[in-house]
Amino acid sequence: MITLIKLEITRALRNKKFMFFTVIYPSALFLVIAGTSDTTSLVPHTHLTMPLYYMVAMASFGSLTAVLMGNSERIAKERESGWVRQLRLTALPGRGYVVAKIASAAVATLPAIVVVFVVAAAVKDVRLDAAWQWLALTGAIWAGSLVFAALGVAIGYLASGDAVRPLTMIIYFGLSILGGLWSPTTSYPQWLQNISDYLPTHAYAALGQAIELGGAPHTKDIALLVGYLVLFAGAAAWLYRKDTRKA
Amino acid sequence: MPGAVVRLAQGCPAGTVTSVMPRPRPLTLPGRAALGEAWAMTATTAQSAPGTSAGSGRAEASASAPVVAFEKVNKSYGSMRAVADLDLTLHQGETVALLGPNGAGKSSTLDLLLGLRTPDSGLVRIFGTTPRQAIEGGRVGAMLQSGGLMEEVTVQELVRLACDLHPLAHPVRQVLEEAGITDIADRKVNKLSGGQEQRVRFALATAGASDLIVLDEPTTGMDVSSRQTFWAAMRAQARQGRTILFATHYLEEADEIADRVIVLHRGRVLADGTSAEIKAMAGARRISFELDEPADEAGLRALPHLTGIEISGRTVRMRSSDADATVHALYGLGVYPRGIEVAGLGLEQAFLTITDAATAEEAGR
Ligand SMILES: Nc1ncnc2c1ncn2[C@@H]1O[C@H](COP(=O)(O)OP(=O)(O)OP(=O)(O)O)[C@@H](O)[C@H]1O
Ligand SMILES: [Mg+2]
Repeated sequence: MITLIKLEITRALRNKKFMFFTVIYPSALFLVIAGTSDTTSLVPHTHLTMPLYYMVAMASFGSLTAVLMGNSERIAKERESGWVRQLRLTALPGRGYVVAKIASAAVATLPAIVVVFVVAAAVKDVRLDAAWQWLALTGAIWAGSLVFAALGVAIGYLASGDAVRPLTMIIYFGLSILGGLWSPTTSYPQWLQNISDYLPTHAYAALGQAIELGGAPHTKDIALLVGYLVLFAGAAAWLYRKDTRKA
Repeated sequence: MPGAVVRLAQGCPAGTVTSVMPRPRPLTLPGRAALGEAWAMTATTAQSAPGTSAGSGRAEASASAPVVAFEKVNKSYGSMRAVADLDLTLHQGETVALLGPNGAGKSSTLDLLLGLRTPDSGLVRIFGTTPRQAIEGGRVGAMLQSGGLMEEVTVQELVRLACDLHPLAHPVRQVLEEAGITDIADRKVNKLSGGQEQRVRFALATAGASDLIVLDEPTTGMDVSSRQTFWAAMRAQARQGRTILFATHYLEEADEIADRVIVLHRGRVLADGTSAEIKAMAGARRISFELDEPADEAGLRALPHLTGIEISGRTVRMRSSDADATVHALYGLGVYPRGIEVAGLGLEQAFLTITDAATAEEAGR
C-alpha cells in the first residue's frame, strides 16, 4: 500500500505535463492576471486586493487541477487498460487503488499551492498580517481539495475512453469559471452569482479568502463543501462498486 | 496405464526426478453420450483408480481441499452463455492447459476463478476458500490476457510493487531473474515490446510463493526463443510444486508443458485428459472400408489402437490413433477390405465433430 502510494507519487512527479499544469500554470496565470493590476485597489464588493484575491483563486485552481485531472483521466485509462484488474489480483485491499490515487494527488497539490504563494509574495509583495494565516491558507486549500479528488474519482469510474477528457474539461472549466477562480463572481449577472454561490469551487475559494481577511471560514462554505464531499464520495463509491461487479 | 507413461516421458526430462508426480487422470469425455460409440473406446486408457494426492513438500497445500473447484458454474453475458455448467477440479502439482478456440470461454473461466467476475450460479473455490480470500492469502498469482500495466514506471519499480503487495514475496532480484527481465529492469514499462511486456506480467504473477499460478494466453506476442525461455521458467515453477493453469490456443504449447489438458468449447468441457490422449484424439484417423461378407465383429473390435468403431452390415467405419498399425492388423485378420480409405482428423475437425454432436443433442432435446 505504501509502495503503491510512493510509486503513484513518483509517477506524478515524473510526468512533466502534469507537473506543468498543476504547478507552473496556476502561478503563471496568477502573474498574467494579477501582474498588470495595481496592488492596492480592491476587488469590487470584497475587502481583498487583486493580488490577494487571485493568490487564493490560483492556489485553489492549481489544486483543483491536480486532483481532478490527475484522478479522472488516469483512473479511466487504467480501468480500460486492465491495470485495475491486475491490481485486483494482488492482496491490496479493494479501495487501496483509489486511496493511493487520492493520496498521490494530494501530494502533488502541495507544491501547486506553495509555488503560487511564493510567487505572489516574491513578485507581487503579497503580505498577510500573521504567519498563521499562511499555514491556515495552505491547510484549508489542501483539505478542501479532497472534495475535488472525490469528484475526480467519480468521473474516472463514470466515463471511459474518449469521453473522459471532454467531460473532465467541461466540469473543470465550468467549476473554475463559474466558481470565480478566474475572475471575481461579483462581476457576473445576478442570476449567475446565485448559481455560483452554491458551487463547490466558490465555497472552496471563499475558505481562503476568509482566512486572508483574518477570520475563520464561514460555516455556510464549510457546510457546502462537506455536503459536496459526501455527494462526490458517495457517487465514487457507488460507481466503483458497479465497475468492480462487472469487472 | 499408457497415459501416465507418456506423461512421465514428456513431462519430466531426464535427470529431473521431481517431487511432483502428476496425478494420473482418466480421460473423460462429457459429450460421449451424444457421440454414439465414436469415442467410446477411449475408455480403454482410462479407468485408473483415483490416485493418492501428489507427494509434495508443500504441506500447506496438501490439505484435503482441491486447489481449484468449480461446481456447476454458469456465467452469461446477456443471452451469450460464456460458461455453462462447468465442473472442474484441479489437484496440487498439476500443470493444466485450458485449450479452446476464440470465444470458448477460457478467459471467462479464469476471470471467475480469480474472482474478477461472479458466477450467475454455482460455486468457485480455491483451496476451499473464496477466490478473494485465496488471493489475500498470497496463494494465487495471475497474469491476465489483457492485463494493462502501470505506465511511466520502470520494470523494477513495478516488480517491487508486486513483491510488496505479496504476502509471501520473493526477493525482487530473484523475481526479475526468473522471469528473464533483469536486463530490462531499468526500462520504462510503456516502452517495452509485446513479448517483453508479457514477461513483466509473468514476473507479476510469480512475485511470491503462490501455490497456484494462473496464466491467460501467456505466450501471445512472443517469438520462438522467448517462448522457449518462458516455458523453461514455467517448468521451473512447476518443479517447485506449484499448480499451474494456463489458457492457450495451441495444442503444441499445451503438449510441451501441461500434464493435463482441458478442451473447452462454448463454455463446456469437451475433453479432459493428458496431452497425449488429447493429441491422439485430435490426430486420430478415420478408416472406412467394405467387407465381402458380414463382419466378424469381435475380431474387428479387438484391433489395436481403435478409438471408435461403427459397423453397419458390411460397411465398417472406425477411428484409430495409429492408422498404420490398425490397417496392418486388419489384413492380419484374413479379411479382404475393399475401397479402404484413411483420412486424417485434425484438432479443428475433432472440435467440430464433438460440438456438432453436442449441438444436435441439444436440438433434439
Ligand atoms: N464483457 C463481455 N460482454 C459480453 N460478452 C462477453 C464479454 N466477455 C466475453 N464475452 C463473450 O463470452 C464468450 C467467451 O469469451 P472468452 O473471453 O471467455 O473467450 P476465450 O476463450 O478467452 O477467447 P479467446 O481465445 O479469444 O481469448 C465470447 O463469446 C465472448 O464474446
Ligand atoms: Mg481469452
